[in-house]
Amino acid sequence: MFLTRSEYDRGVNTFSPEGRLFQVEYAIEAIKLGSIAIGIRTNEGVVLGVEKRITSSLLVGSSIEKILEIDTHIGCAMSGLTADSRTIIEHARVEAQNHTFTYEETIPVESLSQSICDLALRFGEGAHGEKSIMSRPFGVSLLVAGVDEKGPQLYYTDPSGSLVMYEAKAIGAGSEGAQVELQQSYYKNITLKEAEVLVLKVLKQVMEEKLKNTNVQLAKVVPKTGYSIYSLGELEEIIARLDEQE
Amino acid sequence: MNGISSFEHPNSTVTADGTYKHTTSPIVTGTSVLALKYKDGVMLTADCLASYGSLARFRNVERLHPVGKNTIIGASGDMSDFQHVQNQLNGLMLSEHVTDDDQVLGTKSIYKYLSNIMYNRRSKVNPLWNKFIVAGLEDGESFLGFVDLYGTTYKSPVMATGFGAHIALPILRKYAEARCDTLTEEEAIEILDNCMRVLYYRDARSFNKIQRAKVTASGIEITAPYSLETNWDFAESIIGYGA
Amino acid sequence: MLQHKDGSVQNHQHGWEPYVDNGGTSLAIAGEDFCVIASDTRQSEGYSINTRFDPKIHKITDKIMLATTGYSADAKRLTEVIKMQTERYFYKHEKNMESHAAAQMLSVILYQKRFFPYYVFPILAGIDNEGKGCVYSYDPVGNMERVTFQVYGSASGMIQPFLDSQVGFKNQQNVDKTRLLTKEEAISIAVDSFTAATERDIYTGDYLEIYIVDANGIHREQKPLKFD
Repeated sequence: MFLTRSEYDRGVNTFSPEGRLFQVEYAIEAIKLGSIAIGIRTNEGVVLGVEKRITSSLLVGSSIEKILEIDTHIGCAMSGLTADSRTIIEHARVEAQNHTFTYEETIPVESLSQSICDLALRFGEGAHGEKSIMSRPFGVSLLVAGVDEKGPQLYYTDPSGSLVMYEAKAIGAGSEGAQVELQQSYYKNITLKEAEVLVLKVLKQVMEEKLKNTNVQLAKVVPKTGYSIYSLGELEEIIARLDEQE
Repeated sequence: MNGISSFEHPNSTVTADGTYKHTTSPIVTGTSVLALKYKDGVMLTADCLASYGSLARFRNVERLHPVGKNTIIGASGDMSDFQHVQNQLNGLMLSEHVTDDDQVLGTKSIYKYLSNIMYNRRSKVNPLWNKFIVAGLEDGESFLGFVDLYGTTYKSPVMATGFGAHIALPILRKYAEARCDTLTEEEAIEILDNCMRVLYYRDARSFNKIQRAKVTASGIEITAPYSLETNWDFAESIIGYGA
Repeated sequence: MLQHKDGSVQNHQHGWEPYVDNGGTSLAIAGEDFCVIASDTRQSEGYSINTRFDPKIHKITDKIMLATTGYSADAKRLTEVIKMQTERYFYKHEKNMESHAAAQMLSVILYQKRFFPYYVFPILAGIDNEGKGCVYSYDPVGNMERVTFQVYGSASGMIQPFLDSQVGFKNQQNVDKTRLLTKEEAISIAVDSFTAATERDIYTGDYLEIYIVDANGIHREQKPLKFD
C-alpha cells in the first residue's frame, strides 16, 4: 500500500483516483500499532479486556486506562492513539446524559455507538459553517459494550466511521491472530464466566509479557448492575481458572 | 437614529434611547372580510375602503388578493402590514415559479406559510396587525382558513373578520353553515350581499363599494367594485339629532 | 408620549399582549390497561365562537395522545414540535418513543421557553411501557406529574370536583380510593362531564371528541354537544 503513495495522502479530505482516503486508511493502520483490546458478547452480558503494556518498572500500571465507562449501562475498550479517544468519550458521555435528561431513560447502545461514529468523520475543515473539532482522522478504534432493552450488545467503531456489531472482536496489535482464536472458541451459548476466561486466554496468546493481574484490565457490562471493572482479586480468580483449564 | 426605519425590522422604528418600538396599533385599516363555502367552491367579499381612524381615507382599495391560480386572501386590519404580506407572498410565488418544477403551491401550503409568518411575528412581539381569510380550492375540495395577528388559526365553512364576526357571522351561520354543500352561486351571492348591506348600515367604518371573489374549479374570479341597493327611508322617522 | 409638568416625558402606550385565551376543555382518565382522552372542539375568542370544530387532541405515537387547552396558536406549535421530535427519535433510535420518554421530553420542551412560555396546559395520555393506562399533566412551564386523571381548560373548575368525586373517590369513606375505572365508566364520566359543563361554560361546546387508547390501538368517537 505504501508503494502507491502519492500527493493524495496529504489532504485529509481528498480522494485518490482509486477512490481511497489515505489519511483515513493510515489512521486505521495506527490502530494496529496499539495494544490489543478484546470484546466478547454473551447472553448474560459483555466482557471487555485489554493489555496494559507496562513499558517501565517505574510506570504505575493503574494509571493506564484503556477501558472506560460511558454510562452506567455502557463501557468501551480502545486501541490505537488512546489520547484521541478523550474527545470521543467526552462526546459519548454528554450524548448519553443528554438522552437521559430529555427522555428519562438510558440511551440505546446502538444509538450511542452511532453518535461516536458521527464524530469520526468530523475531521478536516467544517462544512457549511459547523465547527471543525479535529484536523485529522481519529487514530483510535473502540469496542463499545452495553446492555439495553435489546439485551447485551458489542459494537466496533473505527476511524472511517463505520459501525459494525460483533459477537466477539479483537482490535490492535496481534488482533488478526486473536480474531482467528475467537472465531474458533466462540459459540452461541457461551457463558459470561467462560467469556472471561476466553478473553484472558486470547490476551495471553498475543501478549509478549507473562499475563498478570497487573498487566491486563477486564470489565463487564451486565443487565442488572451495568458496567464494572474487575478488581485485582477478581482478575486473580479468573487467571486461576485459566491456568486450571490449560 | 431617531424615528428612522430600521432595515432589519421593516415595521419597527428605533427610538432615541436605541430601543425598538414595534407596531402597537394599526394606522390605515380595512374593516370586515366575509367568506363562505358553497356548492361550487368558496366565495368571499370585502369593501373597498381603507380608513384612517374615523376618516374614510382611501376609497378604492382592493382587499381581496389573489395568490397563485386558486387561492385568494382577504385582509382586514392594517393595510401597510397587508401590503407587506402581499409582497412576501408574491416573492414566495415568484421563487416557486422560477424553480420551474411544474409544482404550484396549493391553498393549504399558502395558508400554512402565512400562518407561520403571523405566528413568528407575534412571537417576536412585533405582530402584523391583520386578520386574514385564506380561501381556495385544492384537489376538488374547498378551503377556508383564518389567521390573525396572534397566529391563531382555524377552519370553518363560514367565517368573518372584525365587525363582521359580530354582525354578519350569525347571519352566515343561520343561512349558510348547515347547507354549504348545496348552496348555489346565486344563493351564496345573495347571502353575502345581504350581510354586506347589514354591515354597511351598522359598521361606521364600512363602505358601499364592495368586491366579491370566488374560487371554483374554473379558477379565480374577482368582481369589479360594485354598490348595493340601500334604503334609508327609515331615517325620515328618526326624531332628534337635529333632524 | 406624555409630557409632565416637570418636563419629564413618559412613554404612554398600551402594551400589546402576545397571548389570548381560546377557551375549551380537555380531560384524561387512566384505567388499568387503557386511557380515555376527551376534549370539546370549540375555539373561541372573547364572546365570539371562531369555529365549532378545531380539535385539541392529537396523536403523538400509536400509544400516546396529547390534549391541550389555553392559547390555540401556542398549542398547535407545541403539538408540531412534539410530533417532529418523536418522529426524529423514531428514526434515530429505530423504536417508538415510550410514554415516559415523551412525558419527560414535553417537560423539557416547555421549560426551554420558561421566560416566554407556551401558554398551554397539556395533558399527555396513553399506554405506558408496561401496558398500563397513564396520564401526565403539566403547567405551561413544564412542571410535570403522573396522575390517574386530569382536567384542564375553561370548564376545569366545574369538572375537577366531579372527577375528584367520581374518579378519585375523594371525601368518601369505605371505598377503595386506588380503584381504577372500567372503560365504560370512564367514557360515561367523560361524556357526563362535558354535557354538564357545556350547559354552564360558554367556552365549551359544539362537539365532543373522545379517544380510547388500549392494546388494540386508538379508537375515536365523536358526539355532538350544544351549539349555544
